[in-house]
Amino acid sequence: MLAMLGWAPLAQADCTLPVAKGPIISIGGDVTEIVYALGAGDRVIAVDITSRYPEAAQALPQVGYMRQLSAEPILSLSPSLILAIADSGPPQVLDQLRAAGTCLALVPDEHSPEGVIKKVEAVAAAIDRKAEGDALAERLEMDFAALRSSLSAIKDKPRVLFLFSVGEGAPMVGGRNTSADAIITLAGGRNAIEGFEEFKPASSEGIIAAAPDVVLVTELTLAKLGGVEGLLRRPDIAQTPAGKAKRVIAMESLLLLGFGLRTPQAIRDLARALHPGFAAPPEAAN
Amino acid sequence: MLTANNITIMRGSRRILDQVSVAVRAGEFLAIVGPNGAGKSTLLHCLSGALEPDEGSVQLNGRPLSSWPARDLSRRRAVLTQSPSLGFAFTALQLVLIGRSPHMGSNPGRTDLRAAAAAMQETGIAHLAERSYLTLSGGERQRVHLARVLAQLYAEEASERYLLLDEPTNNLDLGHQHLALSAARRMTEQGVGVIAILHDPNHAVAYADRIHVLHRGRTYADGAVPDVMSEGLMREVFEVTARLLRDPQRDRPYIVLWPGSRPASINDHPPERRHACSLP
Amino acid sequence: MHSTADFALITHRQAQKTAIATMIAALALVAICFVTIHAGAIHIPPGTATRLIAQQLGLAPVDDSMQALRTILIEIRLPRIALGVLTGAGLAVAGVTLQGLFRNPLADPGLVGVSTGAATAAAAFIVLGWPLFEYLSAPVLRHALPIAAFVGGLLTTIAIYAVATREGRTDVATLLLAGVAINAMAAACIGLLVFLSSENELRDLNFWMLGSLNGVTWDRLVFVGPLILAATIALARFARHLNALLLGEIEARHLGFDVERTKRWMITLVALDVGAIVAMTGAIGFVGLLVPHLVRLMMGADHRTLYPLSALLGACLVLLADLFARTIVVPAELPIGIITSFLGGPFFLWLLLRQKAQGAF
Repeated sequence: MLAMLGWAPLAQADCTLPVAKGPIISIGGDVTEIVYALGAGDRVIAVDITSRYPEAAQALPQVGYMRQLSAEPILSLSPSLILAIADSGPPQVLDQLRAAGTCLALVPDEHSPEGVIKKVEAVAAAIDRKAEGDALAERLEMDFAALRSSLSAIKDKPRVLFLFSVGEGAPMVGGRNTSADAIITLAGGRNAIEGFEEFKPASSEGIIAAAPDVVLVTELTLAKLGGVEGLLRRPDIAQTPAGKAKRVIAMESLLLLGFGLRTPQAIRDLARALHPGFAAPPEAAN
Repeated sequence: MLTANNITIMRGSRRILDQVSVAVRAGEFLAIVGPNGAGKSTLLHCLSGALEPDEGSVQLNGRPLSSWPARDLSRRRAVLTQSPSLGFAFTALQLVLIGRSPHMGSNPGRTDLRAAAAAMQETGIAHLAERSYLTLSGGERQRVHLARVLAQLYAEEASERYLLLDEPTNNLDLGHQHLALSAARRMTEQGVGVIAILHDPNHAVAYADRIHVLHRGRTYADGAVPDVMSEGLMREVFEVTARLLRDPQRDRPYIVLWPGSRPASINDHPPERRHACSLP
Repeated sequence: MHSTADFALITHRQAQKTAIATMIAALALVAICFVTIHAGAIHIPPGTATRLIAQQLGLAPVDDSMQALRTILIEIRLPRIALGVLTGAGLAVAGVTLQGLFRNPLADPGLVGVSTGAATAAAAFIVLGWPLFEYLSAPVLRHALPIAAFVGGLLTTIAIYAVATREGRTDVATLLLAGVAINAMAAACIGLLVFLSSENELRDLNFWMLGSLNGVTWDRLVFVGPLILAATIALARFARHLNALLLGEIEARHLGFDVERTKRWMITLVALDVGAIVAMTGAIGFVGLLVPHLVRLMMGADHRTLYPLSALLGACLVLLADLFARTIVVPAELPIGIITSFLGGPFFLWLLLRQKAQGAF
């Protein structure tokens, strides 16, 4: 019976990149931003729940969380191209999408300025906007280079503790090799957490031992923890140099951790907050 | 013949049963009596094969119980244990037909239905056939289980079979106690050997051919009813002062007790001293 | 007075009632399959679906213009429906078996630890398994997660069985307590794994624990599906054994059943059944509890009726729940476990209250 139904490992049906025309489904907030920046926003017909920027994208149908996609609803929208950030899934759904004859392009995701450039190049190549992509990449490179050189003068690197909460329970702290760690370093700070990798639930003693000069949070996390006052009232935070000096920085999470087009802006904002008196280089014309 | 030869059951260093031998022939009604903790249920478990004795052996027709295939054994002997618990909504008829498991495939045949009808009429529960077990009273449940084991042994022709009953009159009112014991007694007419643990010595006297008296894990007496039953036995084994009278119509003894039959002074003493106290 | 003829009539009426109920349930399943084949994010008209299936079976020439719909129907929707049927039937039958085996109407595949054992193994594989990926070949990798879940379920059940078995006899109370203990340890393991995992992996775990039929393909189904089917059918052959076992293990032995062998078989088959299902779908809760109860309420406790009807109704329930899961928030979808838990949670509480009120089921 199964054999008669013609089961076989799914293979990529015919698809050749770039796909210059036709509707696009964009998976991943950073990818969506880039598609719009390359002037192909009018082609986007659906996004995932992390695509909250630019505003136009918020009005589109949403296909759920990027790691829990479902093939049928996506195919029902008849896209010519699905642009998805690496790590989208589950893998067997990606197989089903490919088998249905839809072009699927996975966009690499690295937490670095070079990673952002690669993302732009990959998206531009997939949607056949090579020229626009090159121009955008060049502007980004200039931005990053200018920020790098002006930040290299700064010798005093404050210890930054990144806190964020998901759901209930203790907030998580960002360890090494996280997107938070990367952006802190780029903005001329030092991650106060050196002992472990990834995001881990915070322990009060661990927070005190990390002795951060600054606490960095996402805006949602700050709201959850009861605003700046609520955060500073926590006995563990109050014990730290950051708590005593009341140094709390809150930023929007997609801007801060997204590693997309607005990453230069994120570096600039964070650097200004970390280093009072820091004169940021002007933005490259956008 | 179902026989237990010198069986001993140890629980730690304590002997629950100590060198007990008992036998029942086809068509014979054997009552096992004795006070609480004498080892009656343990003995029945050994005879049913549920418990392997530490010493001695149990044999059916000269063949060790453990070497009988389970299905063959279940066609020759049925066991009513003390109040099996059941929390599911079978109807009375379904439960009685479960007793026919050894004889049938997945669906009951003509004989199985005849067996169920006969057993349920014997025990007076035919009118409850479609009632859920869960809605039955304690006494009705007990009779359903009795009907189940009667149905298990039902046969169209007389043949050698054994019925083991552990306090079959539990939860039953006076009338139904005698209904149940009469049903067991009638089974002996078709070649069924019955072994029943009975609480009330008068039941043993009225229905049994033979009595096996257990006391502290040992055989105290074993023999025909008139030979075994005595006022001395009642005093020493049950620790009651009883009178043994004779029913002139049936020429059988019966036991009479009255308030104060059990001397209050022996209640709280350990067995050794208790024994000494009860002797004159 | 009731005679043999009356009893023959009663038994015949019961058999008839069972046959009618089974037929209704089978028709309902066919109807639900019909609906789920056509409904979804993309509506496939009945004629089109029939033509596509006919083409796939080689009964009609293949029409290339229908390629997109063919993929959706044949490669995405049909395997999902097949998995839904297998999952519903398998979980319900496993529930029936465990409730009978433990003589406890509240037993569920989650209770003996099969589900949690399988889920824990899967979680461990997601979080800790990455280093393995460099050494495994692609086809092995494809099935690695299901295999991990299946092995986890089997090992947990064997462990619980070993703990609860002394001198070849299983004591049900000990078995239940061992299940509780192992579930607690599995929960601790999952907690530890969540602690060790990074954010993305954490999200995967959450979705995995809630269960989903999403993303099943024929080549995964062809590997695990027959296993689920075989275990489910084999389990349903123990109906008479379970009827007797409800009276107690000793009573079942007196009725001529080889109780120890029966228990060993049933536990192994349940582990296979549930392990294989959890491997494919994650932990879909309450199906094994809900369905057998509904059938018992309507049809009584006889396992010869309970098994086939529970299998059919289980399949119906999972297919309907999955239809909601994939159509209610289009173009996204809900984990199916959320829906079955919404149905099952209140039902479970109601059962507990009922038990409190009646002292029995």
